[in-house]
Amino acid sequence: MGYVSALPLCALLFFACGILADTNFQSHLLMFPQNPVIEIGTNFTATCLIFNTTEVTADDLYWKLSDVNIPREQYRKINNSAVSVTVPITRDRSMEWLFCLCNKKSNYVILNKGKFMHGLSLRTGYRPEKPQNLSCISFQRKDAFLSPLQCRWETTGRQTPHVPVTFTLKVMQVVSAKTISNSTKASWAQVEFESYPFHTELEIWVEAVNDLGAVESEHLRKEAQHFVKTNPPEVKVLSEKSFPTSLLLNWTTPIPSPYIRLTYQIRFCSPKSPGWSHVPLSDINDKMNSYRLQDLRAYTPYTVQVRCSDVDNPHGYWSEWSRNVTMMTPGDKPSSPPKLWRTVVQNGTRERLVQIICKDPEFSNEKITRFDVKVQKLKDGASNQSEGWKSVFVNRSEAEDAERSITLLEQISLSDLQSVRVSAVAFNSLGPSPMTTLTFLDKPQDNPPVEEMEVWPHEGQLMVEWKPPRGRLPSEYVVEWLSDDSLDWRRASKSSKHMLTGKLEPFVCYTVSIYPIYSKKVGKPVQTLAYVEQGAPKQGPFVKLDGEPRHNEASLVWEEIPPRFRRGFITNYTVYYKLGEETRAVSVPANSTSLKLESLTRNSHYEVWVQASTVAGSTNGSTHSFITMKYAPEIIEAISLGAGLTILVVFLICIYKKDTIMKRLWPRVPDGRQSSIGTWSPDCSLKVEPPKESCVSGISVLVSMCESQNGFEEDKASLSLRKDKYTSEEHSSGIGGSSCMSSPRQSVSDSDEGADIADTTASTVQYSSVVASSAYKGQTPASQPQHSVFSRSESTQPLLDSEEHMDMFVQEASGRFERLPPHDNTCSEVFSAPDEEQLDCCQEADDLQADGQPAPSSYMPQLGGYKPQ
Amino acid sequence: MISLQFAREIEGRMNGHVENMHFKQSIATLLSFLLLMGVHSTRTVGASRNPACKTSLQRTFRLAKLVQFEASNVFKTYKESQGEGSEFLCKAPVNNIPDPNIHGLEASERISSIYTQLQSFIPHLKRVYEQQKDLQLPSSPLLSKLLGVSDKSWDLTLTINDFYCHAFPNLPPLEPAGGPTTLPPPLNVFQQKVYGCVVLKTYKEFLTNVSKEFKSFKGKVCRRRMRKNAMF
Repeated sequence: MGYVSALPLCALLFFACGILADTNFQSHLLMFPQNPVIEIGTNFTATCLIFNTTEVTADDLYWKLSDVNIPREQYRKINNSAVSVTVPITRDRSMEWLFCLCNKKSNYVILNKGKFMHGLSLRTGYRPEKPQNLSCISFQRKDAFLSPLQCRWETTGRQTPHVPVTFTLKVMQVVSAKTISNSTKASWAQVEFESYPFHTELEIWVEAVNDLGAVESEHLRKEAQHFVKTNPPEVKVLSEKSFPTSLLLNWTTPIPSPYIRLTYQIRFCSPKSPGWSHVPLSDINDKMNSYRLQDLRAYTPYTVQVRCSDVDNPHGYWSEWSRNVTMMTPGDKPSSPPKLWRTVVQNGTRERLVQIICKDPEFSNEKITRFDVKVQKLKDGASNQSEGWKSVFVNRSEAEDAERSITLLEQISLSDLQSVRVSAVAFNSLGPSPMTTLTFLDKPQDNPPVEEMEVWPHEGQLMVEWKPPRGRLPSEYVVEWLSDDSLDWRRASKSSKHMLTGKLEPFVCYTVSIYPIYSKKVGKPVQTLAYVEQGAPKQGPFVKLDGEPRHNEASLVWEEIPPRFRRGFITNYTVYYKLGEETRAVSVPANSTSLKLESLTRNSHYEVWVQASTVAGSTNGSTHSFITMKYAPEIIEAISLGAGLTILVVFLICIYKKDTIMKRLWPRVPDGRQSSIGTWSPDCSLKVEPPKESCVSGISVLVSMCESQNGFEEDKASLSLRKDKYTSEEHSSGIGGSSCMSSPRQSVSDSDEGADIADTTASTVQYSSVVASSAYKGQTPASQPQHSVFSRSESTQPLLDSEEHMDMFVQEASGRFERLPPHDNTCSEVFSAPDEEQLDCCQEADDLQADGQPAPSSYMPQLGGYKPQ
Repeated sequence: MISLQFAREIEGRMNGHVENMHFKQSIATLLSFLLLMGVHSTRTVGASRNPACKTSLQRTFRLAKLVQFEASNVFKTYKESQGEGSEFLCKAPVNNIPDPNIHGLEASERISSIYTQLQSFIPHLKRVYEQQKDLQLPSSPLLSKLLGVSDKSWDLTLTINDFYCHAFPNLPPLEPAGGPTTLPPPLNVFQQKVYGCVVLKTYKEFLTNVSKEFKSFKGKVCRRRMRKNAMF
């Protein structure tokens, strides 16, 4: 142990002496080892040595890693002038400093602080790890000249920037032990040979080295040619007319066989094949440079590619595939019959319009130029009519897809009770195809349909699956798919139970049918609808109201979306109705086209639309607005009925009580024209009365009555009744004339309320009281002369007031009167005042005349306008 | 041989027993036959394949074919690069060119001959390269091909040695060609052309022979004989 400790110290001293000899550096501390490279994850021990001074001892020293003091537990005092420290390196501490310092506070130390410190820079890293997955390749440039041998490997483990790993690729020719190498810090490198060492064994490995160690990868040991990736061969394809189903391939080897013996792989495809077909490797050996592809389709373009690889190295590199070489196989006469089918158009009558259609044979082997077709109408299973063979020439453009082109061969009209047998042959320039025959029966139900047909989308196609009919087994099947604007069909063998239709359009509804064929007779089909891909409907349904909306409900109706806009199976409809900001939805099944919205708010504006949904999405239709009614029609009808009944009842009552009502409303008034008066009071016979207050009042009443007569006849009764009230109370004759003569104030307050007021004030504000005791003017007076009695009101104030403004009254009356239309009866009644009134007028006129007023002059126009009848 | 003596010994001991002689002779014959069959079958079973040797033989054969191919190619390129009259260049006699024929009776001797002659050709090839370097443009494919043939010839030499070690592990190893190869003295251009042509032509012939020789080794050389003395 002591020996071990002394050895580094001696070395340290020797090193220190060397430093002192070389420089004038006077530091009293020295650290060991210098420039250490430390593996991360290990403990690092450094020693600090005091020399050339006795000022400090090992106890005065302390250690610091970067800015952190190292705990004294990690120190180890070697002797009085040396102390070591052990630091665990747990992470990359490259470029960090480890210091040995002195903490003594003596004057010398303080003054020479720089001499009592020493540090060393750390470099930490990881040991290199073994490179993995070494692989090498050399690319052929031209002929036998190869590119340098390139090798790649995977670097494992970690590196730090200050302890990097250098990789050295070493390639040794085993027989000569000649080694060439190339170093890199990347994970690949290459070496170049003066002459590529074919057929000599190479040993290849990678050496990973850094300051902490070195490690080698696994050694690859192979012959040099096994690392070569050659160019692809040059390929030529020959077509021979006498072999329509064969193509001959020739290729040239990319590198002479003495360098590398190559094996080849061939693949080919045609536009009709789903992918590349590969020739089995066992069919080709390294000595071959030609191959004949057989069992190909005639008149079909084939694309061929060839690649090669070292025959002695099964796991070696394959070259890239050669460039495409395309060659058409020679033509041949059609080797399969045309694809015969028909479409039936029902024309509404018993006649069926049958179109005989045809597609090119599957193996047409050249362009089809014509079809020959023969149609035989059958009755009771026997041929009774034959029109012989008919040729239909085909003239297609190059752009047309011959396989999908449909040729109309014949169009015939058949009755329901007729069957037809059709035969067809296709021709190309090299000859005819085999003949095909199909019989379309009038009663296909005799030939049972397939069972459990299912259709579902599959990668842009429709997969049709079925189970064969029970009992009879068909000879084959025809699967037909029909859309609005396309028709196609395909035959399936009797053992088939499923079939793909080929690429179809998305969002289009196809009617898929399976027809069993029994001995060339078409059986009863089974049909179903299917989509390859469903989408949201292209348009929504148009909704409208069915009838008028009611106060709390509305009936909606919409039409089904046209099939071409559905883009999928409608799963349901959702009816939305919106009131203000509130939207409600009702979902209804796909087979519904109407809905009654209930519990609506009356007298409200609703917006409604219908959303059609498929599995792939939904589309809203147009929005329709309506307003619900304020009242239910029943209520309106009930009110109307009630009102009508009430009117009817009133009317009936009126009729029934006509006389009573007439009496009440229009009391019998003696006709003055038919009356005769024997003697008139001599004082008032023709005397024109001057206008007086009472007359003015009478005119006011007259105006009311005129208006009543013009527009409101019905008011007459009430008015008369009111007047009657006055007359009955005041013993008046009941005619307006008396009333108007009585008082203008009362006439103004000629209402019920006014009447009451008049009643209450009658004792005090009664201006006049008229008591009719004799007949009216113009009426025939009674045989005995009657004496009219006039009594005047005791009240004087209003009258005085009236009298004081007599002129004004006169003018007002005159003005109002001029606007009145002439009236006969009423006015005559008014102005044919009874004697008593005349007397009163006379009395008043006397009073006025007594005052010296020219009364007649101002009243004359009235007389002129209202002549007594 | 041993079995016959054994049989005769038995026969001598039985001398005088006339009545049993015929019977004993039959037994001896039968025993002799069985012993011969046993020895033969032991030898047959002992001959087993040596995979490393076979691999080395295949590799050597393929390399010999490659060098032959390149030598033939170089010769063709050489003639093309020498201008008119190159056909006659190779008809002139040239001394001290190694023999293209392979010598020896046993396979090991013939391989040793190939090894020695191949080494003898390499200095001549280098001399031709140096001569043609003065006569051809630096970019001439002939130069690179000559270099390539020289390099591969050296590889072939090493490979033959390796094969020999596998095929004849108990024989002394092949020795390098004895003594320095005699190279021609300085020649004029025509003589250089003639020399080069003859060297390449001879080398091509030699390599053709080598290829044939190694082809003939297939199935013959790489068989390890293991005697199993099961009977004795």
